Amino acid sequence: MNIFAMLAKNLRLGIQTIRFPARPPVTAAFRGLVRFDPALCSGCAMCRFRCTARAITFTAGKSTFTWSYDPGQCTFCGRCVEGCKDHALSQDSACPPVYLTIGTLKKAYTLQRKPPAEKAAAPPDPSHVSPPGAS
Amino acid sequence: MNLWKQCMCYCRRHSPWIFHMNSGSCNGCDIELVAALTPRYDAEQLGVLLQGSPRHADILCITGPVTHTSAPAIHTVYEQVCGPKAVVAIGSCPASTNVFIDSRVLVGPLNRHVPVDVFVPGCPPRPDAIIEGIALAASILARREANPVLGDASQTEVHP
Amino acid sequence: MNLAIAMARLLLFPGLLFAVPAAWFFLWVERKSVALMQQRIGPPFPQPMFDFVKLLGKSTPPRRGIDGFLMRMWPLISVSASATAAGLLPVLPARGGFEGDLIFLIALLEIPAICIIAAGFSSRSMFGEIGSAREAVLTVAYNVVFLLAILSIAASQHTFRLEALAQLPVTPLRYIGLLAILICLPAKLHINPFSLPNAEQEIYSGPMTEYAGAELAMWQLSHGMEWVASCGLVATLAIPQFSHWAVNVLAFGVLSLVLVLLLSVLAAATARLAIDTTVRFYWKCTLVFACLILIAFVSSSFMQEVRS
Repeated sequence: MNIFAMLAKNLRLGIQTIRFPARPPVTAAFRGLVRFDPALCSGCAMCRFRCTARAITFTAGKSTFTWSYDPGQCTFCGRCVEGCKDHALSQDSACPPVYLTIGTLKKAYTLQRKPPAEKAAAPPDPSHVSPPGAS
Repeated sequence: MNLWKQCMCYCRRHSPWIFHMNSGSCNGCDIELVAALTPRYDAEQLGVLLQGSPRHADILCITGPVTHTSAPAIHTVYEQVCGPKAVVAIGSCPASTNVFIDSRVLVGPLNRHVPVDVFVPGCPPRPDAIIEGIALAASILARREANPVLGDASQTEVHP
Repeated sequence: MNLAIAMARLLLFPGLLFAVPAAWFFLWVERKSVALMQQRIGPPFPQPMFDFVKLLGKSTPPRRGIDGFLMRMWPLISVSASATAAGLLPVLPARGGFEGDLIFLIALLEIPAICIIAAGFSSRSMFGEIGSAREAVLTVAYNVVFLLAILSIAASQHTFRLEALAQLPVTPLRYIGLLAILICLPAKLHINPFSLPNAEQEIYSGPMTEYAGAELAMWQLSHGMEWVASCGLVATLAIPQFSHWAVNVLAFGVLSLVLVLLLSVLAAATARLAIDTTVRFYWKCTLVFACLILIAFVSSSFMQEVRS
């Protein structure tokens, strides 16, 4: 198309800008801030192992552990979310906010270790075949 | 005098000229910074202009974890920017070197070299987040004197 | 009384008091129309004034010796030249006062370009030197066409006086001269496609690389007043004189604004051309305009001979 026709079309279509401070909507697959649910965490530290940027730190104590996450260090890859078997971590569509001093965004949680779940009675082993007539 | 100072503060907040510098970045944040100047996000609605010379700029936008070869360049360009000035660290690399944390060629977060006013986290941050960071830096800048004592980034008032 | 009217022309209208807000207005019109053509919002209305006041408040790096003095002088000379050029425009020629000369006005319009070239070299920065060299080649290229334009406008009425030119009716020869000036305007005002000395758009960065603070504010102001003076020159010589002075002023303002909009459309539509393409373009224009002016002049004098 002729450049002048293009400019006329632009004038006709009008302004497409998002006016400050409005934000555009994000897609469903957007990887934003990592959210932590303390109730579900069992303290396996798999997220700290998988984290590429060392944004997650884990300190183990006797019966407590401290878990912290710094969005200013995070690269939002999602490996921690994939590796959490308790589904305590999730990524939502929020962007990390602008801040003024390093470390402002870091959040730490100190949690009690959960007691191990009661082992249920072992189900009968189908490989053993009891001889007929025995009790 | 007070009226002139108020007028100067207002004009400084509404005319932030930026100079962009890359201190070893992967270019993701640089692309998002340039995207902030495109019609969809349009930083010029706040008066932001990308300048070609550090002497013309007020706000220095730095991306990248600081490599040891770019550190002297960062110092030189920071000295060349005329006061009052502000520094915006774009992306999580200047704040914390992000995934490059074990690299041997890096010389640490950006605030070891220049006083940083605003950190815009994200990898890369969205263009609207970058514009928000620049607007915050402009309001911080508006209250600065033309020849501040170095390292007084924490002493200025902050009105986000 | 003549002196009073002359001072009023130089300081009030269309001099300094009119030229500075008009410069800011034209700069805003250019930025806003380019933004609208690119489907974005663009700067708010007082933006050039905000830029100017902010630049006045910035510190300048220490400059010692003769270099510092020269570097500070060039923007001041540039601002005074373009402000005087704006003040000499024959918007209201019947009121008298300063008797302006076309050659004097064109010379005043040349001084900002010379100041930019000198500023780039006196700042001793390599970017400044490259930008100034480009600006020098560009100036040489379009000034030949400018010279032809002056000759044709003067030859149309056999006078160089601006007031006489503004009051006499417009002939085809003068239109050819005005067209030649219009073709030189993008190069003179450093807009696309001839924005060679700039590394970035509105404020140059080639010759201006080392400038900061109040000096940069003066360069921006002189750039804006060049817009006013150049578009005003074409506007005042193109429109006929009306009986009431308010209609004259209105017509001058409207036509200048139309010219600014046309130049902005050109700036938005084109990309920057390289130096060899630009110089070749202006040399071709020189040839074309020389032939056109010769034909028009010969035919008009032939018509006069036939009539008398």
